[in-house]
Amino acid sequence: MPDCAELYFNVDHGYLEGLVRGCKASLLTQQDYLNLVQCENLEDLKIHLQTTDYGNFLADQTGPLTVSIIDTKMKKKLCREFEYFRNHSLEPLSTFFTYMTCSYMIDNVILLMNGALQKKPVKDILVKCHPLGSFMEMEAVNIAETASDLFNAILVETPLAPFFQDCMSENTLDELNIELLRNKLYKSYLEAFYTFCKNHGDVTAEIMCPILEFEADRRAFIITLNSFGTELTKDDRESLYPTCGKLYPEGLRLLAQVEDFEQMKRVADHYEVYKPLLDAVGDNNGGKTLEDVFFEHEVKMNVLAFNRQFHYGVFYAYIKLREQEMRNIVWIAECISQRHRTKINSYIPIL
Amino acid sequence: MSGKDRIEIFPSRMAQTIMKARLKGAQTGRNLLKKKSDALTLRFRQILKKIIETKMLMGEVMREAAFSLAEAKFTAGDFSTTVIQNVNKAQVKIRAKKDNVAGVTLPVFEHYHEGTDSYELTGLARGGEQLAKLKRNYAKAVELLVELASLQTSFVTLDEAIKITNRRVNAIEHVIIPRIERTLAYIITELDEREREEFYRLKKIQEKKKILKEKSEKDLEQRRAAGEVTEPANLLAEEKDEDLLFE
Repeated sequence: MPDCAELYFNVDHGYLEGLVRGCKASLLTQQDYLNLVQCENLEDLKIHLQTTDYGNFLADQTGPLTVSIIDTKMKKKLCREFEYFRNHSLEPLSTFFTYMTCSYMIDNVILLMNGALQKKPVKDILVKCHPLGSFMEMEAVNIAETASDLFNAILVETPLAPFFQDCMSENTLDELNIELLRNKLYKSYLEAFYTFCKNHGDVTAEIMCPILEFEADRRAFIITLNSFGTELTKDDRESLYPTCGKLYPEGLRLLAQVEDFEQMKRVADHYEVYKPLLDAVGDNNGGKTLEDVFFEHEVKMNVLAFNRQFHYGVFYAYIKLREQEMRNIVWIAECISQRHRTKINSYIPIL
Repeated sequence: MSGKDRIEIFPSRMAQTIMKARLKGAQTGRNLLKKKSDALTLRFRQILKKIIETKMLMGEVMREAAFSLAEAKFTAGDFSTTVIQNVNKAQVKIRAKKDNVAGVTLPVFEHYHEGTDSYELTGLARGGEQLAKLKRNYAKAVELLVELASLQTSFVTLDEAIKITNRRVNAIEHVIIPRIERTLAYIITELDEREREEFYRLKKIQEKKKILKEKSEKDLEQRRAAGEVTEPANLLAEEKDEDLLFE
């Protein structure tokens, strides 16, 4: 009975939902950010972070504190929380979690492919991979000689296999530009994720589908913006747009023909959700960039996800909010350590 | 540096002319070298000023570039491994040219671009704008670095050259020229002394000759007075010539 989520949800997923809501309550507030911004150096930052939920995550750090150490430790903490959620989850929440890790897996696979093709030692690359996207066959990557071997032997086992099949046939794996490959994989992934959520129905679909639609449209806008002045052809560009967003199909077709920012704005004017966003973009020096505006909108949507109960969107929203928080903290830490405080308040406030 | 040092040479007029010529040569050489040293020092000061300016600018540019790296990381995530893995050939290369200042060759580095940007599509989906800004900032930093490298190598080379030239100028001024002058003085004194000796010898001989002459005159007088001396016939005073047959 799909409409009675309240009756059945807590049986399988109630514990985890309670847990994730508790974790969400420990996100840094505006007051915490104000304290962090006033720190003089990284040691002060560490002391302030000890009063928050981060606690003593830097306690066993002996050498001089750098921003990259803070970043790595925060990622590890997030990873531990995520693994805990994942290990305690049941179907279909487990599949949902797998979908969430696919985006990191795509990045890792691209890294590994590149490294294997250039005969770099696997250990070095494994260190650089995102921990949330690790999969079992990662160390076996170095036995493959070419990209097609890689696909046949290893990637077929991972959840990424269907995305590869969407993109291309196996023989063209070698020639494709890595960035194009990455974006094509991501497009297939997003569409698959969207289909999954929609098929699940219920509150999850109500919450997740708008979020994923926004993600798709955001990617379309950003890809368009960044392809001005490069050698990317319009057809290639259009093949990278995910089709699960509001812009599909007319908006995407219009976007593919766009030549500069003004034309892009006019395309966005047709859609009342995106019109105010693109209008809020300032000019080059000083104003907000398009990316900042999109980050803010994403954060708003993720926070709103917590207003409904009995759906999987809370997990997705929590991870995304945590990541944004990590980015904010790293930004503030960099500004402090480089003594460049003019833009220290350009982080994205969450709560 | 012994003060009594001079060139060992036999003192003669010829030696004196030779030494005079050498002195003149040394003085001309010293003037030329001083001019060279002045030109080098002038260029040195100019380069120093430029180095200070460039280094200050460098500090600003690097700070800006490091900050834009932080901005790019904020938006695009961690792209460092992607960048490192896609490295193949250098896009910015350097040519070394030579510049000549008062005979000293200075290397000058000039950068040029080759090839297309292989990182055009990095950050296509996130952070492309920030990455473009980052690339621009670091490109500016690299250009400044090349210029700074040129300036610093010139600085070091010029420094060496100036030291050597100054050493030579000082050597000529304080060692060579005084030595030649001392030699000249020595020659002149020797020549003068020889002249005096000659003079004295001549005088002595003359005296001796005079005494000898007086003695022989006296002798002659005595003998004439004693009638032993017959004067030889004076051809011009004779009135009758025996050899003439007909008169």
